[in-house]
Amino acid sequence: MTPIITCYFQVHQPYRLRDLRVHDIGREHLEYFDAQKNRAIFRKVAGKCYLPTNALMLDLLTTYPSFRIAYSLSGVFLDQCEEYGTDVLESFQALARTGSVEFLGETYYHSLSCLKSPEEFVVQVQLHVRRVQSLFGQTPTVFRNTELIYSNGIAQIARLMGFRGILAEGADHILRSRSPNHLFVPPTFTLPKDISSIIRKHRPLSVPSKNIHVLLKNYRLSDDIAFRFSDRSWVGFPLHADTFTDWLLQSGGYCVNLFMDYETFGEHQWRDTGIFEFLGALPALWHKRRIRTMTPSQVIDAWKKERHTEEIFDAHAFISWADMERDLSAWQGNLIQKAALDSLYALEVDVKRSRNPELLEHWRTLQTSDHFYYMSTKYWNDGDVHKYFSPYDSPYEAYRRFSHALCDIRSRIEQRSPPLKQRARV
Amino acid sequence: MLTTDAAQGQKRENSLEGDADHVEGAAHPLHVLMFGWEYPPRGEGGLGVACAGLVKGLRSHGVKVTLVLPGERNDGDDTIRVKSALHPYDDVMHGIHGRHSMADDKHLHDLYGGDLGKTVSVFTDTAVRRTRHLKPDIIHSHDWMTFGAGVMASRITGRPFIAHVHSTEMDRTNGKPHEWIFGHEQWGLNQASHIIAVSRYTKNVLTSSYGIPPKKITVIHNGAPIPPARHLSRKDAKLRHPLVLFLGRLTVQKGPHEFLSAAKRVLEQRPDVQFIVAGDGYMLPELIERSCALGIQDAVFFTGKVDAAEARALYAEADCFVMPSTSEPFGLVALEAIAHGTPVILSKQSGASEVVAHAMTVDYWDSDKMADCILTILREKPLSEQLSSEAQHVLHTLTWERQAQNVITLYKDVIHSFAPIPTPA
Repeated sequence: MTPIITCYFQVHQPYRLRDLRVHDIGREHLEYFDAQKNRAIFRKVAGKCYLPTNALMLDLLTTYPSFRIAYSLSGVFLDQCEEYGTDVLESFQALARTGSVEFLGETYYHSLSCLKSPEEFVVQVQLHVRRVQSLFGQTPTVFRNTELIYSNGIAQIARLMGFRGILAEGADHILRSRSPNHLFVPPTFTLPKDISSIIRKHRPLSVPSKNIHVLLKNYRLSDDIAFRFSDRSWVGFPLHADTFTDWLLQSGGYCVNLFMDYETFGEHQWRDTGIFEFLGALPALWHKRRIRTMTPSQVIDAWKKERHTEEIFDAHAFISWADMERDLSAWQGNLIQKAALDSLYALEVDVKRSRNPELLEHWRTLQTSDHFYYMSTKYWNDGDVHKYFSPYDSPYEAYRRFSHALCDIRSRIEQRSPPLKQRARV
Repeated sequence: MLTTDAAQGQKRENSLEGDADHVEGAAHPLHVLMFGWEYPPRGEGGLGVACAGLVKGLRSHGVKVTLVLPGERNDGDDTIRVKSALHPYDDVMHGIHGRHSMADDKHLHDLYGGDLGKTVSVFTDTAVRRTRHLKPDIIHSHDWMTFGAGVMASRITGRPFIAHVHSTEMDRTNGKPHEWIFGHEQWGLNQASHIIAVSRYTKNVLTSSYGIPPKKITVIHNGAPIPPARHLSRKDAKLRHPLVLFLGRLTVQKGPHEFLSAAKRVLEQRPDVQFIVAGDGYMLPELIERSCALGIQDAVFFTGKVDAAEARALYAEADCFVMPSTSEPFGLVALEAIAHGTPVILSKQSGASEVVAHAMTVDYWDSDKMADCILTILREKPLSEQLSSEAQHVLHTLTWERQAQNVITLYKDVIHSFAPIPTPA
């Protein structure tokens, strides 16, 4: 049988931090983020990737009415669209109007909240679902967590939030020689009462889903495009659309899930690598060779209708799509990363109690996973210091800025609610 | 005679070819004639340490090193002593032209007991005379004062000459070089068959300020000091003031002024912090004056010259070490601080920042950011702990044994491609 192709693209931009200084802490209306840099990067990527790729996609979706794709746009990306690029937002809305595009749900702030606070996690998904509804007139029914961070627990939470599908990395150590090209289900178990009541209280979708299916990224074929496309030392170079289609067919199974960052097109792989020609050639080729494309929820419907036997995807520990390790080490691999995340969530109760929307917004924007990624020192001990890619000089610079922002949040909490002792005196 | 020597060199080199990685056990061990410097008390700072480390590393790989040092002691077979008044980078000397006094030459005369040029040339002549019977495969000199000896020995033996640059006149004088020294450095670098720079930073200085083609320069970082067997314990942080340390010669190059400016800014935020300026140098009086002018005299302590044991105690006690050098080819002190588990802040204008991944780095002129890094390290315990433990990896990877192996590889390449220039009889 010819496998179905499911394409999903992640679209995200973090708010990078300003060069904050100790003497800034506690200043009124302190700006944490580097608006100039964030705008410049957004416009650069818009010019190289978002606008040309969206134009190409619109053309493809119009020319091939059965062609389907899915996106997940982080809330902080959508915020940046409003600040720096309504043209980009409009081009995504034009894609939504074709009716051939599915938008997935994720945490609004592209956060690691699933690791630290179930309430914050669910609330952020709720915020995201509402934003997608208002901008694209669609309610997400499939969930993708930040950087495909996944575990059995997250799958259950997603199910109770109302999602019927969830994306995950096709990690070899969990697949154990099974193909990722099938739909899986998580093992069933009951979540602790407090967590299920939190979910009930903030549920993004109207009812919990009875079951949830896991779509696994076929990382070999996805990474052929995302990472290896322009690699001259790669045996598959140069990659042509028909060769790649042969590989998809050889891969077999029920569906091949091609999940990647949207910036693959034009930003990671520059225009002169031929990436746009490659992408542009695929739908025609697939149409000719009778290969169907579906969105994640369509694949789940089709799979359920055909009543396939369900295999269990059992992820006790967290997995993700990052690095070779495919675990959390990109964000929680060293002391400063762990300390930064712990200190951030330690402020949750106070920030929420303050009922100060600006404070809450700042605290949430600091949750974006990229802040912790920039603090990674994973490949640093022996390597060339300058290989590191980040908007900052070093992981320590990332920590310095972040810790100042946290201190500012702390000082604002203290200003608003003086410690008990002082209050008693007043 | 010269042709014979060259032919012998060629033969030796051939015998090494089948044994590219190990000189050990080769029929003719590689023989290096090295004009170097020795460890303090006679030497100054990093140059002597680096020289000693390299020689030890080379010998551990079976390389025969004949070392020529200024001095009078007798150290045995492989070391030749040449009586000389030469001191590398005496701070008194650099104090003078650091201030760019027109009295340069007069002071230099006093210091070197006459004419600097003459002192260097006497050393060169004696060193070359005492070593002319040797038949080395390669000549290796460390910094400008021994370049003359290297060039002459190279001409006499018909063997290639490697100039090893640990520090340039541009670094030492904040870009206002003593012309004669600059000229002599440039001459030596031009004469060299190949150049070793201790950092990419220094390579860049050599290409941009001395006009040396980049392909003639290989960067080989210095080896790291061996960490002490046992860390001295810090006093309980709650019982004392946070301590920030500067350690180095008090010269423009080392950036003590920048350190005081940063101290001033730190104290504006945290008046409990104390600063130690350890080391001696011509700038001491003006630095004391400056700390008074800034009104921070009660929080800044000047120790004067410190010996090795005192330095150890200071490194161990400090919560943070700052190397604010304006132009630092390498910066051994940073690695010494790291060896004692002290978090470091490095000037970006340094070679050390190329090899130490786990440090905070700042431009030396940005004292506001330097202060900010100090305050962050003092405030954030996880940061200070991580810098303290992780930075030490470099001590285990950047060993003199490994760096000497890189030098040997370079020797072989240079010997292989060397064509002696016939000198008139």
